[in-house]
Amino acid sequence: MSKFLFVVPPFFGHISPTLSVGATLIGRGHQVTWVGIQEIAAEHIPAGGRFIVPHAELEEHLPEIRRILKRQDDGPNISGAETLKLALEETYMPFCRFIMKGLERIADEFQPDVIVNDCITFAGAICAYNKGIPYVTTTPVPPDVGGDAMSAPKVHAWWVRNILELQQSFGIYASTAIVNSGELNLVFTSQEFAAIAQPPEYMKFVGPVKGRPNNTPFDWERLEKAVGPKVYVSLGTLLVDIRKDFFSKLIAAFADEPLTIVAATSPDIFEQWPDNFIVQGYVPQTQLIAKMDAVICHGGFNTVNDTFMNGLPMLITPIAYDHFHTASLIEKAGCGIKLRYKRLRVNDLKAAMWEILRNPQYRSAAAHIRDTYIQAGGNDKAVEYLETFAASKRLVAF
Amino acid sequence: MDQLTQPTQLSEEAILEVLKQFITEVIGQEFVEDLDITPQSSFTKDLEMDSIEIVAFSEKVKAHFGKDIDFTGWLSNMDLDEIINLNLGDITKYIQSCL
Repeated sequence: MSKFLFVVPPFFGHISPTLSVGATLIGRGHQVTWVGIQEIAAEHIPAGGRFIVPHAELEEHLPEIRRILKRQDDGPNISGAETLKLALEETYMPFCRFIMKGLERIADEFQPDVIVNDCITFAGAICAYNKGIPYVTTTPVPPDVGGDAMSAPKVHAWWVRNILELQQSFGIYASTAIVNSGELNLVFTSQEFAAIAQPPEYMKFVGPVKGRPNNTPFDWERLEKAVGPKVYVSLGTLLVDIRKDFFSKLIAAFADEPLTIVAATSPDIFEQWPDNFIVQGYVPQTQLIAKMDAVICHGGFNTVNDTFMNGLPMLITPIAYDHFHTASLIEKAGCGIKLRYKRLRVNDLKAAMWEILRNPQYRSAAAHIRDTYIQAGGNDKAVEYLETFAASKRLVAF
Repeated sequence: MDQLTQPTQLSEEAILEVLKQFITEVIGQEFVEDLDITPQSSFTKDLEMDSIEIVAFSEKVKAHFGKDIDFTGWLSNMDLDEIINLNLGDITKYIQSCL
């Protein structure tokens, strides 16, 4: 049996698939520990696993961590070029510096056989590299290989320069980036959906992974009585500031249409909702989506995966960050329609919604993506890769 | 079809007027109404153009001012801060320098 140490950022979309894979590892008798810079709700941590936040070492950075987390809300209001800077210079790099001391202590105490670092949580890779511990990377979203923003040579050079400087500040003088594993990178989507024809050998597409059941109560009876097609809407856990504006447009578009909207958002943003809107802050999303006919979301990847796992078409309204890349993949696969959030018109929303509900080609393309997801293997495949990796490293060690 | 104009006589103001028209066509009248488009307007921050819109805008610029204007090529040679700070006045000057 092996010991796995997951290193994760304070963003639930990145943590969630690691919890699912971790639960399966624990079920097979491995020891699993997570390290993060912010606590997560106890019910999310798989039984038998530990989630450690090195509070003592993080304490001096707390005001800065809070400021950076708050700063993420600016994402929708700044340009793509600025979000790149926000991500790398103002978020990933400082978080890497803040967590390192505590992470190194925990690694020394836990003595993992393998460190599994999330793709934006560079500390995991740097710590592993310096301690000679084998490491694997997890990537929750389809990687934007050679994407728009990074294709500009000076932008790419900026990225590499920053990563190399970060590595050097921890005594690593490698000429290339080591912050993601060059041996095994688990990607939680299918190769076909990611549209990467020839991925590097270390990149393994395992599809969505399943977590523990979410038993949040929901008014299932009301849903049973709902009229017309049912459309699930989620903006995910981030992006708090724009909810009111977003849902105002949805109300304008769908209040008088013969369909039912199920919205995962706090109902208190409006005094009154239209009768055909069922609104609840936290919902059992996986169970709910199984009963829907279509989904509207901004491109948060857990919702994207839940949607196509159920073979449903999606209306995607990308706002910032990697949403645009995900939206372009959805259009490429033909399983949905993209309407950019900043250019959202009520009439376009209405027309696009009825198009994906009535034109069967979107649903059949979504069903095809579901098949590629299932074939990718999910939890079992991810764990198989991790166990094989750990075993091969043990052999080398002997 | 856009007409190929006699570009050498164009002032920055005249170019700006044409660009304003292209911006309206690309991002839509209702989204332009709330904007005060000036030479100081930031391309990414104020106009909030995404890559698809930038390509559409670039095609219009080429069709109108001449195919030698490699707007996207010019953009792709910028570093991040240049992209962030790029404003409409810079684009006007760039087009004028190509004419």
